[in-house]
Amino acid sequence: MRKVQARTTRIVSSVLVGVAYAFAELLFTLLTGLCLVPVLGSPRGKRAVLDRARALAVTLAGRQCVRLARSAPELLASAYTPDRALRYVAVRWTAGMLGGLVLGTLLLGALYASSALWMWAVTEIDAPWTVFFSSLGGLFLVFLGVHGLHGVAALDMRLARHHLGPSEQTLLERRIAELASTRAGVLDAVHDERRRIERYLHDGMQQQLVALGMLLARAQRSGDPARSAELVGQAHEVARRTLDELRDVAWRVYPAALDESGLHAALETVAERSVLPVRLRVSLGREPPDTVRTVAYFVVSEAVTNAAKHARATRAEVRVGLRRGVLSVRVKDDGHGGADPEGSGLLGLARRVAALDGRLWVDSPRGGPTVLTAELPCD
Amino acid sequence: MRLILADDSTLLREGLARLLADEGHEVTATVGDADALLEAVAADPPDVAVVDVRMPPTHTDEGLRAALRIRERHPGVGVLVLSQYVEKRYAAELLERNTEAVGYLLKDRVVEIDEFLDALARVGSGRTAFDPEVVRRLVSRSTHTDPLQRLTPRERGVLELMAQGHTNAAVAKRLYVSQSAVEKHCNAIFDKLGLSGTEGYSRRVLAVLRYLGS
Repeated sequence: MRKVQARTTRIVSSVLVGVAYAFAELLFTLLTGLCLVPVLGSPRGKRAVLDRARALAVTLAGRQCVRLARSAPELLASAYTPDRALRYVAVRWTAGMLGGLVLGTLLLGALYASSALWMWAVTEIDAPWTVFFSSLGGLFLVFLGVHGLHGVAALDMRLARHHLGPSEQTLLERRIAELASTRAGVLDAVHDERRRIERYLHDGMQQQLVALGMLLARAQRSGDPARSAELVGQAHEVARRTLDELRDVAWRVYPAALDESGLHAALETVAERSVLPVRLRVSLGREPPDTVRTVAYFVVSEAVTNAAKHARATRAEVRVGLRRGVLSVRVKDDGHGGADPEGSGLLGLARRVAALDGRLWVDSPRGGPTVLTAELPCD
Repeated sequence: MRLILADDSTLLREGLARLLADEGHEVTATVGDADALLEAVAADPPDVAVVDVRMPPTHTDEGLRAALRIRERHPGVGVLVLSQYVEKRYAAELLERNTEAVGYLLKDRVVEIDEFLDALARVGSGRTAFDPEVVRRLVSRSTHTDPLQRLTPRERGVLELMAQGHTNAAVAKRLYVSQSAVEKHCNAIFDKLGLSGTEGYSRRVLAVLRYLGS
């Protein structure tokens, strides 16, 4: 209820301010028109008038951007031309006046609707039916007014976006730039990933296998059967450890459980394998798409690993939820913070998230706690 | 021989130390990173330091850098570098300033104990030991293909063994030919490659390797 109230108040006040500006804009438009009449024949005069008008229009449009900033923050950052501002101001006053009309309707409706009350309080009511129908009519006007108010607010917004917001061309260019940079980011992330896998293989697996080979070679060269048997026993142990490691490496490269039993199960495995206690809360409703869940998995796994390895945390909390087509992932740990978003691991994550048009926030003040949040669109 | 081992994998380091102890060598220190290696060598210079190319912190070529520094500061200490995979650049860097007591082997060779011990002995006695794989790649992909084209298959085989650091006697044994036959092949090779003026085992190996790798 409070939310609705706040929103209504905001809309009413915004429209009200819009009405006040509409008078200034109307005046400005009329004056500009009048000033243009005598100089219609001379291009130079026309230009002079229009230049001045444009400068003033930029100021007026700027005011509207501030007024609408709450619902359309992008307008404040938009670089519109003075020409566009002039066109906007020339039509904006109509929406403003319409807002005035709607507010008037609302006020009138409210008066009529409540007429029964205050007439009853002030005088004797001698024509009750008339009063009753007036109230009904008033209620209808209120209903119309409320709808009109929302309509006017929407119209206001559309006008501003259309005239002042980034043009189609700009939006397209921006999107292309964004895609180019995320594509480069993905390639980098893939290369980093490959380097990591190579490292796992050479610095982990290869060492183990060489050690295994050495043990067997020593067993072969030893003349003492008891010693040979002991070395073979050790080799057997190393072989077992190597197999464990291989499973571990394969898992780090790609957790097969993701495909077999879904994100929730894979995250449970992360929690189980983690050296620190992890509290996991997952509410999905449906399984997110493959690419999305893979990235979500790596976000959680990287964050939990970092918490244990770098932040010396004692526990971590993971929340994953899918709402309104957005998968949100939040990992919080009680470590000493100071995580570097430009570090290779987090940078790789950010790139992977960006590639899906998602967003990643790292909040890690010195002294902790660290909170990693990712939002991934799932459509 | 007295040896120092430097490798960041504890498992491999200790395994190697035991293996060498079994074979009668004395391992004076085992270390896990390049700084510790330099300190250990300075404190008590061994005959040979066996060094892994990749060590912390960056796991790129710290081991190789440390090996080069050891050769500069302690001429009496030989270095045998172990690498995860064949990297011609590393072999070339080792060769650039050193004419003796250096070796470059693939890590996997450790499993071939005889070959590994043989290489270690060669480095320990001031000669060279290069991995057959490195040499094979230098020989097969050399930019100087023309003179190599002129070598007979037998000469090519002799060249590869020579480039690994083997003496004429060892080459003869491996190829089952007489030593004088090997010497004849050597002279033919030197003539064809234009290296006739070189003397001594290490120098001839380095001459061949530099020629192939340049």
